[in-house]
Parts: sequence; structure tokens; C-alpha cells
Amino acid sequence: MKSLKKALLIAASLGAMAGAAHAQTTIDTSKAIRVAMVPKLIGLSVFKANEQGAMAASKRLNINFLYTGPVTASAQGQVDIINSLTARRFNAITVTSNNPTELAPSLERAMAKGIAVVSYDSDVAPDARDFFIQDTAYPAMGKALVDSVEASTGPNAQVAILSSTPDATIQNAWLEAVKTYMAATYPNMKVVTTQYGQSSPSQSLSAGLNILHAYPLVTAIIAPDGAAEVGAAAAIEKLGLTGKVFTDGTSDPNSIRQYVKDGVIKASPLWDEVGEGKLVMYVARLAANHALKPNDTFTVPGLGTYKVNDKVIIFSEPLIFTAANIDKYQF
Amino acid sequence: MKSLMFGGAWDRALAIILIVLFAGFCVFTPGFYNGLQGTLAITEEFLPFGFVALGLSVVILTGGIDLSVGSISGLSAVIMAILVKSYGVDIFLAVLVAVAVGGALGWVNGLIITRLRVEPLIATLATNFIYSSVAVALAGASPPYGFGAQFGVLGTGAVAGWIPVQLLIFVVMAIGFSVLMTRTGFGRRIVMIGYNRDAAHYAGVSVAAVERRAYAISGLTAAFAGIILASYYDAVRPDMGDILLLTSITMVVLGGISIFGGEGGILGVTLAVLILGVLRQGMLIAGFSDMVTTMLTGAILLSSIAIKNLFSSRGFDLGSALRRFTTLRRPADTIAKP
Repeated sequence: MKSLKKALLIAASLGAMAGAAHAQTTIDTSKAIRVAMVPKLIGLSVFKANEQGAMAASKRLNINFLYTGPVTASAQGQVDIINSLTARRFNAITVTSNNPTELAPSLERAMAKGIAVVSYDSDVAPDARDFFIQDTAYPAMGKALVDSVEASTGPNAQVAILSSTPDATIQNAWLEAVKTYMAATYPNMKVVTTQYGQSSPSQSLSAGLNILHAYPLVTAIIAPDGAAEVGAAAAIEKLGLTGKVFTDGTSDPNSIRQYVKDGVIKASPLWDEVGEGKLVMYVARLAANHALKPNDTFTVPGLGTYKVNDKVIIFSEPLIFTAANIDKYQF
Repeated sequence: MKSLMFGGAWDRALAIILIVLFAGFCVFTPGFYNGLQGTLAITEEFLPFGFVALGLSVVILTGGIDLSVGSISGLSAVIMAILVKSYGVDIFLAVLVAVAVGGALGWVNGLIITRLRVEPLIATLATNFIYSSVAVALAGASPPYGFGAQFGVLGTGAVAGWIPVQLLIFVVMAIGFSVLMTRTGFGRRIVMIGYNRDAAHYAGVSVAAVERRAYAISGLTAAFAGIILASYYDAVRPDMGDILLLTSITMVVLGGISIFGGEGGILGVTLAVLILGVLRQGMLIAGFSDMVTTMLTGAILLSSIAIKNLFSSRGFDLGSALRRFTTLRRPADTIAKP
């Protein structure tokens, strides 16, 4: 009996593997489809890196690719664009949202018209998309951000937080993870203030200066936002505190390259934005083909195998930029 | 009454532009004509700008400006949402309260301008900062959302299955504003103040009182626009009104209202709202990027002010220069003078 069971199990798992293999080899690309990528705003280098990867992948996947977004980081601007894409009958819309709630009604209308919706980076309300590609698992990001502080200034650091806006979904999720991991791992490390730079370089710089003036004991600024990390690093250099105060955050390598080399930033986690753009297109193609289930596995050539867990796909572990490796990444 | 005739020509030109644009998009842009209902539903995406533009027209007609309309609409919407979500107030009562708050905030603008004698530009810029900070503080880390289907009718519903509720409200409000500005003493006083403040004062018009009411009206319509946005998006955000200001000013100016005040009417503004809205949505559906449509909005603002100034008696006065030029060639006129 036992051996029979075993044999059945093996057969079943072989079948599952064969099924998985089947799914990966036959991404149906016979019919050209139109897929749009809607970033939070156009002209930001991290999103351009997504576009770069998406463009490369769309050629292989027989996708007519369109990159379009609002001029400012406004959810209403995104809604206007999503509505126009719906009217133009795109096959799939991929979006990283400025906020989770305002986009939902327009994406739901798109889905009702049979358009596949894939969110990436910053999620929308779960009912308003078919799949969500999370950059990295939130706890992993929180750990990377805190570990970098510990490595730079020790386990008793007084930490300031410089985020984007009070209601930014992804920043809040990371900061939640930061606080959880910090409390559990380095009980003597504490967050003394949280400030906001509105994702604007100049406002982030002045918020960074405020922090350094008002809290002279702060030795590290966690800035989980592209503009905020640059603003914090610029503030540290401006006040001549290089080597005494450190910052880390989630910025693209091009923006922080100089600060990493100057030593203001020791280790800064992000992920491979170009690779993520590729994955977004693969998921869009699969979703438009109705070839992906809410719980599933699939393989992307050159990137690896991904698990879909309740419609959520985690892209990768954090990729940590240091002075040693940052020149390998040009985006 | 030359300016009135000119106003009529401006409105006619706008009406023709609107018809050409609309027909052009229907014919040449696949996806724009989507059945009568589908095409009319496009108006839902820009009429909030129109509500703001109506109230803003009144302020600009007095020769003033209201830069706080965006923050008033954001703050009012946030107040409405908090009343509903945290205090369990009936949603339509909360709407009334929020619109009243908007009117009060506009009234405060008026008080600052008339009592403290602060330039409207500076006064409303300052209150814009204040109101938007209050809105951010009230909204907190997770602004409320999800107000139910009944409330959603305001922003996305349709009467008899095809006339969008927003469009119906807008038409009724536009007619109301038009009557207010042309058929009531209040409306005439507004135009008079804008045309010549001193003359209005010496004619016995209480300039300050009329101005305060104008800013209150602008606050009311801004708050109403915020409510409509909240209904359309089924969510509120403290910064949701930020995009309203510039487009609304463009609509008012394109509508033929002089930025110096005293000239222009509501019909033109109504047409301008529809033109800019149809143009933007049509271009987006035609596949132009947001960058192009935003640039075009700027270009339209510039050229409409320039054209208006060229022909206005208070600008370069090209209009009367042309008239003079044409009359010069009529010998009878010159001979008649002693």
C-alpha cells in the first residue's frame, strides 16, 4: 500500500512538474496584443528602467507596447489615462499606482471590459487587478534597511525616517517592516522622528536638513523613497556630516552613485528594476491569454521561476547596492 | 456695447470649435464614439473642473483670483468623508456640511482680502497652503474610501440610463450662474466692480460685501467639485483638488472672461469647459500622451489671453485700431469733423 501511495505521489508530482513545464514552454504569442505600462509619473528614472526591461520583453512576447503616464505623480492623471486605454481596447494594462483607492473604480471598469490588469511596485485594491507583482517581500526590505543602519553606525543608533507622503502605500508597508524588525532585533535602536519629503527632491533636502538640525544625536536616516534618500544624502553632505551620519533607502543606482562613492550611503537596497519590467510584461501576456491562475507557477527565461500566491508574485530578494557593486547597475 | 458684441462673437467661435472638435473625434478617433451613453459619460471625467470654473468665474469677473479652490475641494471632501466614516453622519447631510464648510472657507478668503486688504493672489495663495495642510493632517495615513453605491450616483450615475448626473447638475448650475450674473443686481455689481472698482464704489456699491460673497461662491463650487470627485473615485485624498486650479483658470479665460475682470459671461465658460474637456479626453483616447495634452492646455491658455488682450480696449486694443484703420479709409467720416 505504502509503495503504491508513494508511486502515486511521485506520479502526481511528476504530472505537476510536467504541467508546469508545459505552461512555461507554451506562452501563446501567436496573436499580437496591446499592453500599456502606466507608471506613477513619466520621467522618473526607476520607472524608465522598468520600461527598458518591458520593451525588451515585449518584442519576444509579440506585444505592442505603450509606455504612458501622467506628468505629475497624480492618481487622477492615471485614471484619465486608464480610461483612455480602456476606450482604446488595450488587451492589458499594467500600473504602479499613486494610491490604492482612487484608481480602483477605473481599473474595475477596465476589467469588466475584459482587459487584464496587472499592478506592480505599488499595489491597488485587490479587487481592482488580476495580479500584483511585489518588488520584494516587505519583511526582507525592512530587514535590509535596518541591517544597513546597524552595519554603518551600530545597534544603538538613533534613527530618523524620511518618507514620501503620509499615505504612500509601499513606503508605509516598508516602514512597518522596518519597525517590526528593529524592535525584534536591535531593541536599543530607536526611531526619533518621521518626516515627509513629498517625493520632491527639494522638499526632501529641506526635510533632511530639518532632521539634522533638530536631532543632533541622529546618526542614520532611513529614507525609503527615491527622492527622500537623495535629499537625506545631500543634506548630510551639505552640513559636512559625511562619515558621522549615514542614510539608506530605496533609490535607483544612478541617483545615489555619487553618495555611495562618497561614503554617505554604505548599503542601499532596491531590486533590479529592468528585470522587474520584463516580469511585468510576461505576467501581462499570461494574464491576457488567461493562462495564469491565482495560485500558480511559471518560468521566465533569464529571470527564473515564480510562484503566484493568491494573485501576488514576489519579484526578488532585495538587491543591495554598495560601493563595490554599484557600477554594475546602470539605471 | 462693442465689448458685448465681441463677447457674442467669442461665444459663437467657441460653439463652432466645440462642435468641430466633438464631431472630429467622433469620426476620426476610434473608441471616442461609444454609443450616446458612452460618449456622454466622458463628461464625468472633466466636469469637476467645470464646477470649479463656474465659481471661479464670479471671482475673476470682480478682477480677483482664487488660488485656494483646489485645497478647498480637497479639505471639504476629507471633512465629508470623516463625518461619514468616523462619526456615522448620514452621507447626504455630510455633503451639505462639507459644501457649507467650503463656502465658509471662501468667505474667510473674502474677509482676508477685504478687511486685511491683502492682494487676492497672495491671500488665496496663503490660505491654499493653510487649507491643504489641514486637509493632510485630517486625512492621516489612510484617507477614507468606500462610500457606497448610493453616493456613487453623484459622480458616475446616469439619469434615464444615458444622461450623466454630473452633466445634468452642471447644466442646471450653469443656467443658474448665467441668470445670477445677467439678471440680478448682484451679478451686475460683480461685473461693475471688475470693470471699474472706483466707479462702482462711487455709485454706492458696497464693493467689499459683494467681493466677500463672490469668494464664498467660489468656495461653495470648489467644495461641490470635491464632493463629486470623492463620489467619482469612491475615495478621498487631501491633495485630490490640486489638479483643479490651473485647468479651471484656463477654462475661465478661454471662456472669454477677462483676467482683469469686468468682461465675459457664463455661456462662454460653459463652452470652454466642454471644449477643454473634450479636447483632453479625445486626445488621450487618440493616443496622445499626457505630456502633449498638458502642453496644449498651456498653449491654449496663453493664446486665448493674448487674443483677448489684443482685441480688448484695455490691452493692445487691436480691435479699435483695426476699426480706426478701416474708418480712415472712409472719407465721409473725416470730412464730417469740423
